[in-house]
Formats: sequence, structure tokens, C-alpha cells
Amino acid sequence: MSKFMFIFRGGGIATPGVSPTDLQAHLKKWRDWIDALTQSGHSREPGNPLQNPGKTLRGRAGTMTDGPFAESKDMITGSLLIEAKSLDEAAELARQCPVFEYDGSVEVRPLLVYGG
Amino acid sequence: MANPLNDSLDPPEESARPAALAEDLFRRESAHLVAALTRLLGPAHLSLAEDVVQDALVSALQAWRFGAPDDPRGWILKAAKNRAIDAIRRSRRLAPLPSELESNEALSTSMDRVLSDAEDGANQLAMMFSCCHEDLSDDTRVTLILRFLCGLGPREIARAYLVETDTVDRRIHRGRKQLQSLGRLHDVRAPEEVRARLPSVLQALYLLFNEGYHGSDADNPLRTAMCSEALRLTDLLLASEVTASPEVHALAALFCFDAARLETRTDSDGVFVPLSDQDRSAWNRGLLERGIVHLSASTSEAELTRWHLEAGIACEHALAPSVAATNWPRIVALYDALWGLVPSSVVALNRALAIAEIHGPGAGRDAIDALEGDRRLASYPFYWAALADIARRAGDPSEAARSYERAIAVSRSRAERTAYERRLSSLVGALVHPCNGNR
Repeated sequence: MSKFMFIFRGGGIATPGVSPTDLQAHLKKWRDWIDALTQSGHSREPGNPLQNPGKTLRGRAGTMTDGPFAESKDMITGSLLIEAKSLDEAAELARQCPVFEYDGSVEVRPLLVYGG
Repeated sequence: MANPLNDSLDPPEESARPAALAEDLFRRESAHLVAALTRLLGPAHLSLAEDVVQDALVSALQAWRFGAPDDPRGWILKAAKNRAIDAIRRSRRLAPLPSELESNEALSTSMDRVLSDAEDGANQLAMMFSCCHEDLSDDTRVTLILRFLCGLGPREIARAYLVETDTVDRRIHRGRKQLQSLGRLHDVRAPEEVRARLPSVLQALYLLFNEGYHGSDADNPLRTAMCSEALRLTDLLLASEVTASPEVHALAALFCFDAARLETRTDSDGVFVPLSDQDRSAWNRGLLERGIVHLSASTSEAELTRWHLEAGIACEHALAPSVAATNWPRIVALYDALWGLVPSSVVALNRALAIAEIHGPGAGRDAIDALEGDRRLASYPFYWAALADIARRAGDPSEAARSYERAIAVSRSRAERTAYERRLSSLVGALVHPCNGNR
């Protein structure tokens, strides 16, 4: 098994004006998805929800800016480490992610493990 | 399908496990928190309260995706409080706060107090009374209640109310402006203020319940939720000494008797079942008993309101062993008294049907014919269904068929339409053999 990181962007969290009922229904889908990944042995550690806004430092001068803000569709909202046999399998697991319900995205990246 | 009314009977235990989160936690908490913050900060800050609460819920979604807190409700409360304090500090320049909230410490203390469980009922009542302002239309009042007391979004209100989302948006916009122009929310601890506004509050709750009851639709659980919310809000009125009164008990009794029959009003296909075919043993005993308790509590003062009369009629139906063994003379007498208070065609139509039960279809037909001047009845499916029913019982299946067709043409939901189509097709045999026309 290899390790992969799911990086979540946008989705319900970055969508303004979703009703309380819809937010909760969406939360349930996330819980069900994570539970399924845990039960099938693909997910062993808790994910990392990210707060916002934070700060971004850039360039030699370390120019600092606030953000990203919740309105940004490209804002990274969290990550999750999973185990899968291949990049294809990992991508297949990501396909069921509820983030797509609100037009978000999942980036699937293999973890580079030294000496692995 | 789970019965949403169970919510109001036995509130589900809140558990720390996210899988067992009360299904409507977000919806409920958003309504509670918006009411609490608006009461504290004043309605001028309504939008701030809504934004803060929305933000707190979004952050709960964000954080809880990967794991849940031990106390979800407390988590949301704390998130809302912190965000509210931040937002208020930022917006102090924009709109002045009540002077007693000027210092940060006072703000935090007042915030804790208004967010406490002890204040929850008063917060919601203050919001409920403010939503029923005299200058607003009935539809706008009910829409505001669905928005600010039930925590529904515009799209959900549109679904529940069977109107376009744009219409709901307009009503909310109008209502929000009205609310924001109030210096403070209604004082529900002042008996005079309560007395003056209570009738329009009860009227709005009645409309809320009826919207859900008469349009109930198996495809649309929001409709039943409107009934349980109306019952919950009536209970809230009864839980506070200043707002509890005999007429509120009467309205609660009416809701209980009607709600007890809710499950049997539609069959497994979601089609309306006529009263005569409903399984009376399946009526909800708990709700019937609650109705009787409320009805006896409603008679402590001399004044007889329309809610008393309607509850009395619903009680007669609810307690009768069958259609035939129903006390129709008493129902006619109650409709006569109701007509004295609310002379509407719908009351007269129901009275006519009760008369048909006592004196036969001919007398019922005469009573309905007396209504023909009211043109609005033509778009009321129940009017045509009543005519059809009387014609069928009078042994005139072709007249009955014509009226069922009119009822189908103006029916408002699939449940209604299918019910009338079934009755129409049950006439087919009678149309071929006219002598079989009777039942």
C-alpha cells in the first residue's frame, strides 16, 4: 500500500448562502464518506481541516498577504492522508468525495516516502 | 418514512457521536441563535446576526468533516459567540449598539446570558411576535416564521409553501426591512404588548399548520414538518406565563386532533384517503390525548374564539368511532357558531357536508347551491369533490363524474389529483349500471 494525500478545494465551505439543513446534509455525506474509507482500511488518521483566513508569504521579500478568504473557490479547505494500491485506486476513492456536490475539487498526490 | 411529528413528542437524545447528530441540529440552532443575537443586539443588526450564525455553521461543517466534538451544540454556540463579538467590534462604527453593550466585558456577559437555555424560549417568542407585525401580509408573516423560527432557507420555504423562490425572497426582503426598522424585538414579558399581537401570531401559526396539513404530500416531508413546527411554536407560547392563554390551548388542541390523523390521510402511494376510509385505529393516541388536555384547558375563560370552535369540530371527528356514528348535529351547531365569527365559503361548504350526513344528499346539495355566488369556490378542488360526493350519494354518477373532473382540473398536488382520479374511476361501474350508483 502507498500513501496519498487528498487536498480539498472549494465546495460547500466556500459556497455562500447554503441553508442550515443543506449544510448539515452535506456534513453527513462527508462523515459517511470518511467512515467508509476508514472501514475499508484506506484511512487511518484523522484529516486536517484548515481554518481561514490565514496569511501567505511570497517571494524573496517575504511579502505577506491576508487570505485566502472563504469566497475563493480555489481555497484549500483541508487534507486527508489515505492508503491505496495505486494512484488510480486513490483517484477512484476520491471520486466519491462530497466536495463535488458544491463544485469543489480534490487533488490526489502520491506521498514521496524516503527509503520506502 | 419517519414521522416528523415524533420530534415534537419525544425530542431525540443529543449524542456526541456525529453519526447520531440530531438531524435538524443546524436548522434549529441557526433559528435559536439568530433570535438570541437579534434580541440582544436589536433588529437593526439582524443581518449581522444571520451572517455570524451562518459562518458558525460553515465552520462546524469545516471542522466536523473529519471528526466531531463531544458537545456539538455547545461548539456551535461558542463559535457563534466568538464570531459575533468579532463582528460587533468591527461594525461598531456602522450602527450604534444598545449602550449597555458598549464595553467588551458587558457584551460578553450579556451574550452568555441571552445564549443560555433559560432565555431560549423568550428569544424565540420575541422573534415570533416581531415577525407577525401588523403591517405585514399573512403570507409574509408565515414566511418570516419559517425563516427565523424554523431556520429554513428560501429554497426550502418555496418548496414547503409551493411558491417560487423569487416570491419567498421578496417576502423575506420586505419582512427583514420591517424587522430592521423596529428599535427592539417585541417585549414578550409585557402583557399589553402580548395581548395586542397574540391574535395575529395565532393566525400565522394556524396558516403555517394548514399549509402543511392540507397540502401534505408524501414526496415532500417539509410539509409535515410545517405541522410539527406549528405545534412546537404553540407549545412555546404555552410554556410562558404571559403568552399562555385559553385561546392558545384551543389552537394547540386543534393542531393535536388534526395531527393525530396526519399519517392516515395519505396512503403508501401518497394519495389522500377519504375520512370514511381512514384506519381510525391508526390515529395517534398520544396526540389525541394531548388534544383533549388542551381542549379542557381552553375552557377556563368565557370567550369563545374560532380556535375553540374548530378544535371542537376536530375533536368530534377525532373521537367518533366511524363516519356514521359521528355527532353530526353537534358539528353543524359548531359550524353555525363558526360561521358567526368567520363567514367564509369554506366554513359553509363543510357545514353543508355535515348537513348532508344528517338530512341526506338533497339537503346538502341545497346548502351548497346557496354558495354559488362565491366565484372563488370554482378554483377550490374540495368544492367540486364535495359536489361530486353528494351527487354520487344521490345516485347521479354522471353528475358526480363531471364534478370529479372539475376537481381534478383544479387540484393542487399529486396527492389530491390521484385521490379524485381514483374516485372518478370507481364511478365507472356505476356509470355503466346506473342503478348501482349508491356507494
